[in-house]
Amino acid sequence: MGLARLAARGFVPDLERPWMQSAARFLVLFLVCILMAVLTRSTEYGFVFLNLRNLLNIVRNASILIIIGVGETITLTAKDVDLSVGSVLSLTSVVAAIMLNRYGIDYPFAILTALLIGAALGLVNGLLITRVGLPPFIATYGTLWVLFGFAYLILQGAVIYGFPAGFRMIGNGNLLGVPMPIIVMAAVFGSGYFVLHHTTLGRRFFATGANLETARMSGIEVDRTIVTAYVISGFLAALAGLVLIAYTNGSEARIGDSYLLPVMAVVVMGGTSLSGGQGNLVGTLAAALIMAVIHNGMNILAVPAIWQSLVVGLLIIATVLTDQWLRKRA
Amino acid sequence: MTNPKPSSLLIRVPSAAWVIVLMMTIFTAINPRYLTPDNLVNIVLQNAVLLILALGATLVILSEGIDLSAGSVLTLSGVTCVSVMKHLMESGGSNALAMAAGVAVGLLTGALMGATTGGLIAIGNMPPFIASLGMMGVGSALSLVLANSTAIYISNPLFSFLGEKLDQSIDLPWMQYLSMPTFIAIAVFSVIWVTLYHTPFGRYVIAIGGNESGARLSGVNTVVWKWMVYLVAGVLASISGITLAARLEAADSIVGVGWEFDAIAATILGGTSFAKGKGGTGGTVLGVLVIGVARNGLNVIGVPSLWQPALTGTIIILAIVFETVLSRWKEGRRWVWHD
Repeated sequence: MGLARLAARGFVPDLERPWMQSAARFLVLFLVCILMAVLTRSTEYGFVFLNLRNLLNIVRNASILIIIGVGETITLTAKDVDLSVGSVLSLTSVVAAIMLNRYGIDYPFAILTALLIGAALGLVNGLLITRVGLPPFIATYGTLWVLFGFAYLILQGAVIYGFPAGFRMIGNGNLLGVPMPIIVMAAVFGSGYFVLHHTTLGRRFFATGANLETARMSGIEVDRTIVTAYVISGFLAALAGLVLIAYTNGSEARIGDSYLLPVMAVVVMGGTSLSGGQGNLVGTLAAALIMAVIHNGMNILAVPAIWQSLVVGLLIIATVLTDQWLRKRA
Repeated sequence: MTNPKPSSLLIRVPSAAWVIVLMMTIFTAINPRYLTPDNLVNIVLQNAVLLILALGATLVILSEGIDLSAGSVLTLSGVTCVSVMKHLMESGGSNALAMAAGVAVGLLTGALMGATTGGLIAIGNMPPFIASLGMMGVGSALSLVLANSTAIYISNPLFSFLGEKLDQSIDLPWMQYLSMPTFIAIAVFSVIWVTLYHTPFGRYVIAIGGNESGARLSGVNTVVWKWMVYLVAGVLASISGITLAARLEAADSIVGVGWEFDAIAATILGGTSFAKGKGGTGGTVLGVLVIGVARNGLNVIGVPSLWQPALTGTIIILAIVFETVLSRWKEGRRWVWHD
């Protein structure tokens, strides 16, 4: 095996460097793309995978995951996991859906309300963690179930569909041939990257996550920093929900449930450490794209959907094991 | 030291017990039928399965780990157990043989899943959260595939006996108060209690949770014992999965979704904390009862089912907040988080 030989000679990417980590992930993305292109080649249609429409499709499918993943990466940088993202997405999208569909409220107002609710739910998570002192895992897993309960209650178990055309623009529209979800995702990713790497707030996230005590001693208001991270995560989950329902034209109480596993997977696969202070946004982007490519390839190959969580689970385990192995050899 | 002097009663009685008493008072005030032997026995029966799963979570959390795969292992073992049993019965095997083989395969499934998770964590050095999250994906996908995304029904009187109240099979007046799931839960609790407090294994688990490198330096083989913790948790999850399948007379391919949260919440409610190997099995029984009393009470006082998920979740979160605040107050710290 080439990699093992390289590793034995010491030619191993220095995975302590974030850009090396990201480069390694984009290399994997490239290899997975080639693999999928070859696997899905048909004698009739040629390389269906490399079709521009299919490639845009893949990125659009990854967009929702990346938008949530940016928030998750930020909370993991500043403190710990946010497991409630899926339920925040469900609840806010249900509220927006009801406002648009049942009460005919103008869509800018519905969007604003949903985003504010998302941010407020993030605030609740942040306060449960900093003020009450619950472990982040417990606090956000708890809100996950509470919020699902409320989404279910608000919607009375129904499915709601059919939204005004203006609202559907953000999920369905195009700008210069690029689907809107990709544009929203790019804006979110760009601002997330800017905030994390080029602002004082971003430095504070890293400092607080790396060592709470040191950060406090250096005069950072750690509680406020952690709360900010969770507010951003809630806000982005709500935004992802809006894009998602604008695209699918429907919403229900469980719409966000299926996102918890993939979001945690892409963040972890992206190289963000669960112990805080090591966010890697570019890695999250690469991992989400890898995941979307694999899903897309499995769909083209007609692999039943029920196998997909198996692949996701194995991917998480394989990526983390490989990372650790490479680090040990380096 | 500015230790406050809380009344001794507050100190000695675990916070979960206060929550249970409070809830039972409220429920009884609303509907007097709440406090009947029948209903209390029902609460115990309904939560026996959760207790078995929560005992596994307690062991894992005591060792300062986390197991998110418990719910999917529960589902998967139920599915493998019932499908093997059904297959054997359809190919002419006797009820007893089919049941023995099914239960054995179910337990083996749990042991294998637990051993894999434990191996990734103890030998592969993966963070427990990630390893068990990955195994959660693997377990739930395998359940869906094996059960073909639906439920497998089984009618084997011997197997159903594992999930019944005893008055179904023994005609004595007080038998309606006894049930097999309760017996199984009591047996599992006793075994885990003895293991945790009276064997080296238990001591090592608590030592690893308290200070892992300290334990390693004093000669404890932390790799093996950590691995064992997840193996045992996997077996416990499979026991609860098999008992649940017996009670429902079916193995559903998504029945265990979210059970790991109930199990972890019950453990935390019972006073076991992620830090420093504190807590134990007795508290977990109370924690399970908090969840059970809340669910059952909301039903008995006639809260519409639409409201129940939201209310149960809220009650559990509030109880956890109460437990956290109270335990910090007992330790004489301010209740604001400053670690």
